[in-house]
Amino acid sequence: MEYSNLQRQAASLKKSLFDQGYLDEQFCQIEYLQDEASPNFTEEVVSLFFENSTRLMTNIEQAMEKNPRDFSRWDVNMQQLKGSCSSIGASRMKNECTSFRNICGDENAEGCMRSFQNLKREHGVLRQKLESYFQVLRQAGPAVTAARPRGM
Amino acid sequence: MLLGAAARMEEKGAITGRQRDQFPVGMRVLAVDDDPVCLKVLETLLRRCQYHVTTTNQAITALKLLRENRDMFDLVISDVHMPDMDGFKLLELVGLEMDLPVIMLSVNGETKSVMKGITHGACDYLLKPVRVEELRNIWQHVVRRKFSKRERSNLDIYKDFNKLPSTDPCHSHNQIIAGACDQSGRISKKRKEMHSDEEDDGEENDFQESDEPSAAKKPRVVWSIELHRKFVAAVNQLGIDKAVPKRILELMNVEKLTRENVASHLQKYRLYLKRLSAVASQQASIVAAFGGRDPSFLHMGAFEGLQSYQPFAPCAALSSFSPHGLLGRTSAATFGVPELAPAMTVQTATNNGIISHCAGDANKFQLSGLQENQQANLGQGSTTSLGLPQLQQKWIQQETNDLSAFFSGSALANTLSGALQRVTSSPLPPQELLESAQTKVSAQPPITMPSVSSELVERTVGVSANLQDSSISQQGALPINDGFTADKLQLHDPFDSTGGTRFSVNMLVCPSGSITASSNTKGGASSCSTVLLAPDTGRHPNYLQFGVAGNSRHDMNEIKQDHLHQGLSTGSFNHNFGACMTEQTNPNVPYLMPQMKPNTMASEDKLKQRNIYDLGIPKLHGGFSSSSCNFDGLLNSMIKAEKDDLSFTDNDLGCDFFPLGACI
Repeated sequence: MEYSNLQRQAASLKKSLFDQGYLDEQFCQIEYLQDEASPNFTEEVVSLFFENSTRLMTNIEQAMEKNPRDFSRWDVNMQQLKGSCSSIGASRMKNECTSFRNICGDENAEGCMRSFQNLKREHGVLRQKLESYFQVLRQAGPAVTAARPRGM
Repeated sequence: MLLGAAARMEEKGAITGRQRDQFPVGMRVLAVDDDPVCLKVLETLLRRCQYHVTTTNQAITALKLLRENRDMFDLVISDVHMPDMDGFKLLELVGLEMDLPVIMLSVNGETKSVMKGITHGACDYLLKPVRVEELRNIWQHVVRRKFSKRERSNLDIYKDFNKLPSTDPCHSHNQIIAGACDQSGRISKKRKEMHSDEEDDGEENDFQESDEPSAAKKPRVVWSIELHRKFVAAVNQLGIDKAVPKRILELMNVEKLTRENVASHLQKYRLYLKRLSAVASQQASIVAAFGGRDPSFLHMGAFEGLQSYQPFAPCAALSSFSPHGLLGRTSAATFGVPELAPAMTVQTATNNGIISHCAGDANKFQLSGLQENQQANLGQGSTTSLGLPQLQQKWIQQETNDLSAFFSGSALANTLSGALQRVTSSPLPPQELLESAQTKVSAQPPITMPSVSSELVERTVGVSANLQDSSISQQGALPINDGFTADKLQLHDPFDSTGGTRFSVNMLVCPSGSITASSNTKGGASSCSTVLLAPDTGRHPNYLQFGVAGNSRHDMNEIKQDHLHQGLSTGSFNHNFGACMTEQTNPNVPYLMPQMKPNTMASEDKLKQRNIYDLGIPKLHGGFSSSSCNFDGLLNSMIKAEKDDLSFTDNDLGCDFFPLGACI
């Protein structure tokens, strides 16, 4: 019972992540790649992502401080982050990256600052939600992944 | 470390040898991406497709791996934006050195980025995030390459086909040339062909064995200068738009050269041309500035100088082509830039046809007339004695032709076709051509011409052989028909304020050829640049000075195959000879004739080269233009121009002006 409750809970968490646009289809690809050979692939990739994205965001933040108005540099850094986000399906973050890059293109430094703050916030929220999700998943056991709904 | 890794990989390769028999299972992929998340996901996706994956997060490491283990991988998939090396650069190098299919990955799906990937030779461009379905089919790129090679090696049809001299215009053309040319030229030509065939044999033996779907063994063909010349000639003859590997192969008539070899070489060549055109546009703008005229009407102005320059009406039309369009055209590697108005494309096609036609006539005409001159010039047997001006002219012409052909793409075609037609009928055609060619060049502001012009010069110079290239020779041929005289050349002066007109005239001559050739060879690109040279008179003198013959010999040794695709190098691609020149002028552009043989520059070689090109190209050989031109005058004007204009050395094409003495 509890098993299935946890499963349902995990599924529900996941569904809300998709519904609210935090995650997109690519996340399903990631989960699809999880198999017996790499049973924790999704979680591994996600934690790698947060590790990497934190580093990239620090770079961007530093660049914005030390290289004011160096829009091309900011853009390059942000493009890296965007690539990373898209690889795991971090949809909201990816959109914010795009937005940042557009603002960068307009050479609007303040706009960039604001966008970056949004990005940081999104980053934090996503991390929190995914951590909860994985926690429940772990508790629910491996069967959960097999039963997870696709294309939510 | 790398060696160790290589050894391990070899082991893996052996282990998965059995897997390779089940291709695409076990296909060996090298994945390059600086982002660890992307790389991990990509690796897993690829493994899910049952490929054998090696990953690295550094482009430099990837290159090392590939260089040390050429047969280790079947396919490379790489991110575009990497900190240690631009993905496009990696793409180019891999394509050039290893001839492996490369797939680009990027989060950026903008048309221009995708276009850049294509023009740099990517066999596919995927957007991140990549899905497993997309990766399941990437093995097709490997098969495609191998398949075309195998196809070629299995068929003897080409050989049989090529043995019908009567049906091959090249042959007859060649005969004409051979007859007209110096004995030594012919002999050396034969020697060269034999030599190149021998060379090819050694290189291509492996093709017969590459039946395995997994490209475990990819024989690497060494594109010698001779081979390349033949290639360029064939491309020129076919027209860049219609130059398909199969036909090129037939025209080239080289034993054991496979269609796949030609296909990949063609791809690189197109990239090279594209890059040249970019340079050419730059040059064009410079030229335009140089001439102090509206680029689009440059040719018009030239026409003013020319008597009854009516024929150029079409050119005028061409001039109205947006340089960007032209540039886009040329840069589109595929020569199918959407920006080009359909009319242009149509024109191009028509022009090419016309040009070929005219060229044919012109060639004949020229041959009779030029032969003498050329022989006189070239018959000296040595580049030095040739009278560098003549050689230079020829080269320049070729360059011009190439560049113009390549550069202007359809625009040039249009102009040239018109010019060509006129050429046969009026004495001024060459000038027109040149001018139009030049105009083209200058009319294309987006193109950085300065470097191009230098390239042109170089190319034309070195190109003496190139003249043979359809593009150049054709154009050159046109003016010759009328026994192009120095006077005519002078007419171009107005075109080129610095007096480079003369120079440009020569160049234009070539451009006609280049038009046809543009599609097929880098030479086209170079010709564009050469056209620009005219405007950029400053350059020309230097190039001309180089005693192309000398340089080409000199540089040929230095030319590396890898440079072929550098494109930017001033016109190195097509012409080995030219490469010499261009190499000198453009230090930045590594692209120089690969495997140029030192003796190519010899006048003999030139003749040979021309002959070689003649084979495939109905166009007139550049020689004609040079013979009819007032070389001294040209040289002088060029030298002057050179002094006056030093600005073309910027951009990617650095001009190394080698003293003639050094070259010869």
